Amino acid sequence: MSPYMSSPLTQAPRLETDRLILRSPETRDAEAVIAFLLDKEHSEGFGGEDNRGDAWRWFALNVGHWHMHGYGYFTVALKACDTPVGLCGVWNPEGWPEPELGWVVFADHARKGYGREAAERARLWAYQDLGLTTLTSNIVPSNEASKALARALGARYERTYVNIAMGEDELWRHPAPADLATGV
Amino acid sequence: MAHEDIPVLETERLVLHGPAPEDYPKFAGMFGSRHSRFMGGPLTEYETWMLYAAEIGHWRIRGFGMWVIADKKTGDSLGMTGGWFPEGYPTPELAWMIWPSAQGRGAGLEATMAARRWLYETQGWEGAVSFLDPKNYKATDLARRLGAQLDEGVKAPDSREVVFRHPSRDEVDAADAAANALLRPQIEKERQ
Repeated sequence: MSPYMSSPLTQAPRLETDRLILRSPETRDAEAVIAFLLDKEHSEGFGGEDNRGDAWRWFALNVGHWHMHGYGYFTVALKACDTPVGLCGVWNPEGWPEPELGWVVFADHARKGYGREAAERARLWAYQDLGLTTLTSNIVPSNEASKALARALGARYERTYVNIAMGEDELWRHPAPADLATGV
Repeated sequence: MAHEDIPVLETERLVLHGPAPEDYPKFAGMFGSRHSRFMGGPLTEYETWMLYAAEIGHWRIRGFGMWVIADKKTGDSLGMTGGWFPEGYPTPELAWMIWPSAQGRGAGLEATMAARRWLYETQGWEGAVSFLDPKNYKATDLARRLGAQLDEGVKAPDSREVVFRHPSRDEVDAADAAANALLRPQIEKERQ
């Protein structure tokens, strides 16, 4: 007999906020994520995709990102009905400058404060559960909405650099765990 | 149904298990080098990592995917094999890749036979195809040893590739017996 039976796929934990659930990406979320990635006006910060095949592949590789690192993008869903409204989590593919706190709220659900609610919860999880001691956010220079949320989260512009996937990109740094705890 | 767990298959010399972070360096060595030239490579380190992650995620979405082939005795990673059906493919593919250092032992044949049988018996596949670059002689030779034959009536997703059609579910027992006979001398040699 083999000592092996199966290789478990790493799952995301389930986190909650007042209005949202952060959970593992499930196959039922694929169409919402694919539609977002194909909408290049809104998905530039995630690289955008030109065709369904590449968007599908991004959905698959996010599942694999969780398995490789033990973290990745959560599906952000409404607590009331489990409708996916965005993505939020920690991203760090090969070639990335360092682990990044990333977020997006899909266009139909924007301007309700979901981005901040999800990002604060994911950041707390990254510090308390993953044990990360610092976090950055990589923001495309033209994305003013994302910079505004970064500021609201207490992050500060650190430098402009060339990202392996995104090209010219800004790196913003979040308050350290101790500074969050004391509210500095 | 999608799998939350990737099944582990065992053959005489091999274990097929889900791709893990520890298996990544061999994959990166393949796709970072000219050894991947028949599979769309070489890729950048970013593209290579993203492809590996996509191969893992494929399991959750499709319920099947690519296994890592490991040597049962040493645990060494030898390559990958399994079912591959990304969005945009006309049909699922039986695919494999063997790391350059692990070629010549029949590991690809032994592993891919086991993968094909699992896809036929548990995933409802009635048959299978492989999309191969005709200049990739190692791969076309392995396809023939698996009993697959060139099917010129069908197009592959990449215009440089041709389609090899595998024995159907009804024909696979005879094809496996023939392939096992080819493998036997190598397996006996490794035993000594």
